[in-house]
Amino acid sequence: MHRTHRLVAAAVAALALTTLAACGGGSVAKVGGGNSAPTGKPEKGGTVTLAEVGASPNDIFPLLPATNSNGYNGDLTLGSWPWLVYSGDGANSVPNPQESLYSSLKWSDGDKVITIVLKPWKWSDGTPITSRDFTFVYNLLKTNYNDWFDYVDGLFPVDVASVATPNASTVVINLTRSYNPQFYVDNVLATIPLLPQQAWDKTSSTGPVGDYDQTASGAKAVWNFLQAQGADMGTFATNPLWQVVDGPWKLSQFQSSGYYSWVPNTNYSGPDKPILSKVIWTPFTTDTAEMDTLRSNTTLDIAGVPLNDVRQIPALEAEGYSVAQVPNPGVAEILPNFYNPTAGPLLRLLYIRQAMEYLINRPQIVSKVFAGYADPGNGPVPVLYGQQFDSPLEKTGGPYQYSPTKAIALLKAHGWKVVPGGTDTCVRPGAAASDCGTGIKAGTPLTFQLLFGSGTASFDQQNAAFQSTESLGGVKITLKSEPFNTLVATTGTCNAQSHPAATCDDWQLEQYGYNEYLMDPSGAGEFNTDANGNYGGYSSPEMDKLIDATEYGSSSAAFFAYEDYAAEQLPLLWLPNASFVFVYKSNLAGVTPLNPFSGLLNPEVWYYTKSGS
Amino acid sequence: MTWYLVRRIGQSVAVVIGVMILTFILVHLEPGSTAKAVLGLKATPARIALFDNTYGLNRPLPVQFWLYCDHVLHGNFGVSYTAGQPVSSLIAQRLPRDAVLLGASTLLALIIGVPMGLYQALHHGTVRDDVVAGTWFTLYSAPDFMEALLLIAIFSVHFHILQPNFPGGITSVGGLFGDLNAMVLPVVVLAINSVAGFSQYMRSSAIEELAQDYIRTARAKGVRQRVIFTRHLLRNAVLPIVTILGLSLPDIVAGAVIAEAIFNFPGMGLLFWQSALSHDFPVMLGATLIIGVATVLGNLVADVAYGILDPRIRHAAT
Repeated sequence: MHRTHRLVAAAVAALALTTLAACGGGSVAKVGGGNSAPTGKPEKGGTVTLAEVGASPNDIFPLLPATNSNGYNGDLTLGSWPWLVYSGDGANSVPNPQESLYSSLKWSDGDKVITIVLKPWKWSDGTPITSRDFTFVYNLLKTNYNDWFDYVDGLFPVDVASVATPNASTVVINLTRSYNPQFYVDNVLATIPLLPQQAWDKTSSTGPVGDYDQTASGAKAVWNFLQAQGADMGTFATNPLWQVVDGPWKLSQFQSSGYYSWVPNTNYSGPDKPILSKVIWTPFTTDTAEMDTLRSNTTLDIAGVPLNDVRQIPALEAEGYSVAQVPNPGVAEILPNFYNPTAGPLLRLLYIRQAMEYLINRPQIVSKVFAGYADPGNGPVPVLYGQQFDSPLEKTGGPYQYSPTKAIALLKAHGWKVVPGGTDTCVRPGAAASDCGTGIKAGTPLTFQLLFGSGTASFDQQNAAFQSTESLGGVKITLKSEPFNTLVATTGTCNAQSHPAATCDDWQLEQYGYNEYLMDPSGAGEFNTDANGNYGGYSSPEMDKLIDATEYGSSSAAFFAYEDYAAEQLPLLWLPNASFVFVYKSNLAGVTPLNPFSGLLNPEVWYYTKSGS
Repeated sequence: MTWYLVRRIGQSVAVVIGVMILTFILVHLEPGSTAKAVLGLKATPARIALFDNTYGLNRPLPVQFWLYCDHVLHGNFGVSYTAGQPVSSLIAQRLPRDAVLLGASTLLALIIGVPMGLYQALHHGTVRDDVVAGTWFTLYSAPDFMEALLLIAIFSVHFHILQPNFPGGITSVGGLFGDLNAMVLPVVVLAINSVAGFSQYMRSSAIEELAQDYIRTARAKGVRQRVIFTRHLLRNAVLPIVTILGLSLPDIVAGAVIAEAIFNFPGMGLLFWQSALSHDFPVMLGATLIIGVATVLGNLVADVAYGILDPRIRHAAT
C-alpha cells in the first residue's frame, strides 16, 4: 500500500492482556495472544490522546466508494464496525477467533462452501447480530461492487454463487469455485464488516427501514443513501445511523480537520470492554509538529516516531515514554521495467537481477538508514511477522545475501567486463550460457536509472546506498526523484500487451515504497502475469502456476514453493521494509504486543496504571 | 477618482480572468493520470474510468473549462478529489484562520518595523543604525523553519513556557483565540521575517523625506520635532509601507506553508501545496483563483490608498 496510515494509526493493536479483575467488571482477560503484563494497578477511565500525521478521514460508511482512496477512513470506522474475521492475534499473522464475529467457520464441498456461525453478539441498540446482517452487506455489494473501493477483481462478491441463511446465526456461502481456505479467510473474509440491517436498510433519513436491499434497485438506492450520509462530515458524530455499532467504540466527536474522539460502546458484546473513558485522535500537519509536541511533553499519550527522528527516542524515554515497533505488513522493493526499450532487455535476464540483488547491502540499510527498525527484505514475505509463511530459505537470509564478489563473478561468467566503481560493458554478446544474453550488443553499458518518490529522507538515503553498493559491481545507477503522486500518475503498466507504449519508455527502475499485504502474503495480484500490481511486466508461467496453487489449491506446501521461487526469480529487487515505531506513555498498559494488521490501535485493551493517568 | 477606480477595477477583472484561464491550462498540462495519482498505482482501468466520469475528466478540455467557469460564477469551486469536500468549504475553513495568524504577524511586524525604521533614519550613518539593521537582516536572512525550530527548542522543549504548536482540534477562528499561548511562536516567527523589510523601507523613505525642503522649512519655522515627525515625516514616509501592505494581501491569503507545517496549522499554504502534490485540480484552481483575486485586490487597495494619501497621484490619474 502506498498510502500508509501514518504513525499511530498504522498498525498497532494492543493485544496484551492480562487480567483486570480489580477494575469494575472489566474482564479484559484475553485479546488473543497478548502477553505483556501490565505494571501497576489498573485504573478505570481516563483519556488517551493519539497522534496521526496527515490524517483526515472523510467517509464514515465502512464500505468506501471506489473513488475514495483515503486510507485513514479505516481508522475511523474499524473500532465501530470490525470485520467478520479479525486480522492478527497479538503479533501473529493469523485470524483472532476471540475478537472475530464468527464462532465457527467450516469449509466443505471441496472448499467451495463456507458455513459461518455467528456469535450471539448484539448491536449497540440491543438488536442481535444475525445472518441477515451478512446478507445485507452481500446484497449491497452484489449490486454495487464496482463502486466499492475494496473490491478485488473476481473475488467477493462476484465469486459467490449464492448465500443461504438457514437460521439467524448461520450463513452458508456457496462459492463459484474452490479456494484455498487460508487465502480466502485471511484475504477476503477479513475485509468484510457486518452492517446493521435493522437500522441502515433505508433510502432516506426520514423513511422507514425495510428490506430494500433484496432487490437490485433497492440495493442501489440504499447504497446511494448510505454513501451520501457517509460523506457528510458535518454529521459523522450526530447522525443516528453511525451510532449503531458492534465494535467496542462509537464516535462522539468529529471535526473536518481530522480530530475525533471515541467513547465506549456500553453494549459491546466482545471480550474486551473498553476501560478508558475516551480516546482522542488528534491530527498533525507534519512529523515535525508531532515530534515537537512529544518533546514538549504536553498532550500526547501515543504517537509515531518518524524514522528520521529515532535518535530522539532516548530523550522521549526520559520524558516518560516507552517505545514499541510494529512490522509493516508488506514488501518493499525496486520495481524493474521489463519492457523499457533500453533497460528491459537487460532486466529480463535473471543473472543481471541476481547480480543487482547481491549488490544490495540490505543489512546495512536496515541498520544505517532505518536504525534497525525494518524487515530485512529477504524475499517476498517479511520475516519479522510472517511466522508460518516464512520458508526456511527466507528465514536464513534469502537466496541473495549481500556479496559483491558473487555479483562480479556472475557478471564475468556472462561476458561482462566488470569495472568496480565504473560502468560494466558487455564484451561477449550472444545467447549462449556464458554470453551476455539475447538482445545485448557488444559494448552495452550496465546502467539504469532509478526513479523514486521525493520527500522522504529515508528513501533518499536508501537509494543513495543502493547506488553506492551497485557501483561496487560496476552497475551504474543514476537517481531521479519526483513527487510521489506525479510518479504514480506517470507510471504506466508495462507488459506484453501494452508494449510498446510511451508510458513504458520513461522509467527503468522504480522505488515507491512497499506493497501492502493482508494476512496471507500471497503473490496474487503482484507477480502473476497481468496482475493489477505487476506494473513492470514480469511474466512466468511457473510463477502463475505456483501463485494459483496458493490461492485455489489446498496443499500446505504450496506457499513455500511459491515463496522460494519468487525469492529466487526476483520479479522485484527485494529491499528492507521499514517498521512503524511508536512511543507511548509509560503508565499506559496493554499497548504491546502490536498487531501489524489491525490498521488502527485497539484502545479497548489499554488502561492506565494507578501511578497516574 | 471615480474614473480611476472604474479603470482599475476593470483591469483587475481582466487579470482574474487571465489567471483562471492560465491556471486551468497549466494544471491540465501536468503529466500523467489524475485518477491514478489520486487512487494509487493499483487503480484498475474500470476504476480510473469511474473516477474520470465522476469528476468529468473524460470530457474535452474546453468543455471542462466552460463548466468550471459556469460553476465558479455560481459559487461552486468543485469538490476536492482527495478530501471529498467542496473546495469552498476547505477554503472557508482555512482562510479566516490564516487571516488572523498572518494578520497578527503583519501587525506585529509593523509595530516593530515602522518605529525601528524611523529610529534608524534619525540615526542614519551611526553605529546604532548599523546595529539595528545588522540585527534584523541577520534574522531576515535566517530560514524561518530554523527560527521556528530554535524557538520551539528554547521555549517549548527546554523551558516548557509556550506550546510548540496548535492543538489538532482547532478549526475555527474562535479556537485560535481560545488558545493564545499556541499563537505566540508562529506569530513571532512570521513577524521576524517581515520586520526587516518594513524597517528598511521605512528607513529609506524617511531618510529621503528628511532631506526634503518642507522638513527643512518646518524646522526653520521652529516647529517642534515631535510634530515634524508625526505630522509631516511619518505621513509621507509611510507611503511605501502602504504599497507593501497592499501587496502582502495575497501572502495572507496564500498562507505560510512552512509555518503551517511546523506549527500544526492547516492553512491555505498547506492546502495548496498538498493539492499540487496530489493532482487535486479543483483545490489548485480554487486556491489559485482566490490568491489571484487577493493579488489584484491588494494592488487595487494599495493604489487607492496611495491616491488618498498622496493627492498628486489622484490628480494625475484623472
